[in-house]
Amino acid sequence: MPKKITIDPVTRIEGHLKIDIEIENGKVVNAWSSGTMARGMEILLRGKDPRDASYVTSRICGVCYSVHQLCSVYALDDAYGAQIPTGGSLLRNLVMGAQYIYDHMLHFYHLTALDYLDIMAIAEYKGNDKDLLAVKDKIIHLVKTNDTYPLTPRYEPDEFCVKDSDMVISAVKHYIDALSMQAKARNMGAIFGGRQPHYQSIVVGGFTQLPDINQVLQFRNMLDEQKKFVDEVYFSDVMAFGTGPLMPLAKIGLGGGHYNYLSYGALPIKPPKKHLLFPAGVIKNLDPTNIVVEPFDQNKITESVKYAWYKNSNPLHPSKGETKYDLDKEEAYSFVKAPRYDGMPMEVGPLARMLVAKNPTLLELVKQGVKPGAVARHACRAIETKLVVNACYQWCDQLLEEMTKPGFKIHDNEHWETPDSGQGAGFYEPPRGALGHWIEIKNKKIKNYQAIVPSTWNASPRCEKGVRGQYEESLIGIPVPDPDNPINVVRVIRSFDPCLACAIHLIDPQTNEIKKFIVE
Amino acid sequence: MSSLFGEINRRDFLKYSAITAAALGLSQTDVVTKLGEAMAAPRSGKAPVIWLEGQDCAGCTVSFAGTLNPPAAAIILDTISLRYHETIMAAAGHVSEKVLHETVKSGGYVLVVEGSIPTVDGRFCMVADRPFKEILLECAANAAAIIAVGACASYGGIPAAGPTGAKGVRDIIKNKPVINLSTCPVHPDHLVATIVYFLVTNKVPPLDKDGRPLMFYRELIHDTCRRRAYFEEGLLLQDWNDPEQKNWCLIDKGCKGPDTYSDCAVRRWNDGLNFCIDCGAGCRGCAQPTFYKGMSPLYSDKTGLAADLKEKAKRRKIKRKLVGKEVK
Repeated sequence: MPKKITIDPVTRIEGHLKIDIEIENGKVVNAWSSGTMARGMEILLRGKDPRDASYVTSRICGVCYSVHQLCSVYALDDAYGAQIPTGGSLLRNLVMGAQYIYDHMLHFYHLTALDYLDIMAIAEYKGNDKDLLAVKDKIIHLVKTNDTYPLTPRYEPDEFCVKDSDMVISAVKHYIDALSMQAKARNMGAIFGGRQPHYQSIVVGGFTQLPDINQVLQFRNMLDEQKKFVDEVYFSDVMAFGTGPLMPLAKIGLGGGHYNYLSYGALPIKPPKKHLLFPAGVIKNLDPTNIVVEPFDQNKITESVKYAWYKNSNPLHPSKGETKYDLDKEEAYSFVKAPRYDGMPMEVGPLARMLVAKNPTLLELVKQGVKPGAVARHACRAIETKLVVNACYQWCDQLLEEMTKPGFKIHDNEHWETPDSGQGAGFYEPPRGALGHWIEIKNKKIKNYQAIVPSTWNASPRCEKGVRGQYEESLIGIPVPDPDNPINVVRVIRSFDPCLACAIHLIDPQTNEIKKFIVE
Repeated sequence: MSSLFGEINRRDFLKYSAITAAALGLSQTDVVTKLGEAMAAPRSGKAPVIWLEGQDCAGCTVSFAGTLNPPAAAIILDTISLRYHETIMAAAGHVSEKVLHETVKSGGYVLVVEGSIPTVDGRFCMVADRPFKEILLECAANAAAIIAVGACASYGGIPAAGPTGAKGVRDIIKNKPVINLSTCPVHPDHLVATIVYFLVTNKVPPLDKDGRPLMFYRELIHDTCRRRAYFEEGLLLQDWNDPEQKNWCLIDKGCKGPDTYSDCAVRRWNDGLNFCIDCGAGCRGCAQPTFYKGMSPLYSDKTGLAADLKEKAKRRKIKRKLVGKEVK
């Protein structure tokens, strides 16, 4: 008989997630992923001024704040018919660049690294590096005063945990350094974005802050510090771990899943030219030796609600989604819906982007035996952080050039006022993966609003055909020798960088039907 | 000890705390002694903190983790004992829940709450298979102080406009004072200084009628705004592309500065780097109990103030004499 265990809450992620698994002979044989919180962001937008949407949807997630704001204004730009001046596009790219650098770094060091380290190995450090000895003193002090929160308690380290004291101590040092580096990366975004978290200056039609030369120089100067850290610390840590002590996990492809990948594409390298830093595309049933990328067609997206707490309906395109809560539905187990592309579950995020781009660094790792899975996801984050850092330099240079031209523009002032009616769609590739927003405007108000976010794709429950979502599938077969210590489960789940507050979206309570489900 | 945690060590932190305390009207000796004693006490003596997340976006956590002076690492590892925080803690599942129960049982912790509480149906926010409201009630009972961070935990915020009956902590916990740090997200300075105030005095700071510390929320943003002179002249920004209008008043773009109490305009955000009004967007009223619903539409003036000002400016035919013009 399989033994069923529940991990609730799954911590060090954004939002509220519960994972149920069944274990037989030390391996996962079945899995269910449940989003357990809902706010009804799309519902509350109904009847509001459409321009509010970018501000409100930014609050879908406070970790990836800028991404919803940006995707939302892309949908609004589309509905308003706004043409974004090159200056506006560059500023949007730069604030997103800062988001990428901070987000990936924070994910690796603060949300996931503790799954791969035996922190107590620090006590064995024999070297005499002054900074590392300070880390050792610090940790020993915490242990002696019997207060090692929040670093403990934890799942117990297993055979895959890095125990080499030199590696562990430098990783913990970098955990601490990265706390400041991620904050500084975010402050780069605030130079143009106004403040962070939750930027202010991104609006339909472009941007609100006419930059000055000093701000660009300030951004560039802060970027130098980030580049040094990304190249010499973050990227080299990920590669040293991934191809060193974690190579066994990388070679078994722990947490592979369905091997279908989707990228919407984003970040024009030299706006207004359309060429993208991250290209769009779809890969079905990946063959790593012969990667076939199909063009992305948004009409092939549908959402199934069979196993989610919404009234049943046929799978629909998100622009037509019509769903109502049903908290008492027997077979349902999540607030997350089940999006599918061409009827298939997809993985979105850094691994999908780098596969679609056929990134040479990733392909080299594949040659060395790294299989798509948890370790490859961490590697892809580090690879693309470097790409973004380099692109930020180009965008700074182009911005300086543009802003010294007469008539420099950041906003399409002609399309600020709300049209009587309209429809718009926005597609984006934020750090966690493919993001789409859809808006419908009637009588100058929002009639319908919809978002399918990266974690909706990855954290989805089963669809109407009973096919598991990507988290669920990626857990099948992974080793869990001790049911009280399911460390491999959280490793796999965290490798996706879940954002559950994002994943849950509720639509259409026109009839106020929710009242039926009052239990208090 | 070398300056391991960024640019700050324990002594620097005490110095920083003393400066904060001086600003709060406390004697430096008090601070250094009390905080020093607290920090040097056996069994670490660090103040235990439980940080709960309800209907949240983690934006307040991220905001707090963005503090650089002092750096977040110094606070998390040196100043407080962060027993429970879903986004930061190493533990998960039953391991994390065990810590929560033990900490609640021993009492005397600071409770920080992020996110609103659904009241229509407990199932809209479940953690470890329990309704969030139940967890909050249990944690509040033994808390030494309760701090609601951000608009959602303070007054319901954006989720309050939605269908889940989202409420702030003060609507659930009625028998204890709740300190509301109500901007969306919480300003990291507000949170760090409130924690330090409590550690030093063991008291709740003086609050306004909406439960916000007066030391941060005494003045209207409008009264401290650097664009105020343009407001008085009726010069209202119409076009973000025009360098001449760059510093004009943002009322016509829906700025809620005249309705909002917070020190954002003088403190600014992210180590003084920028803030909502300086970047040309305007204030959205996030610190007010009526946010978000009462502030919508966010990007247009619904009070008629902008129209009046423009009319007046036209009648008075204001000419700006002291403005530089390009010489051709």
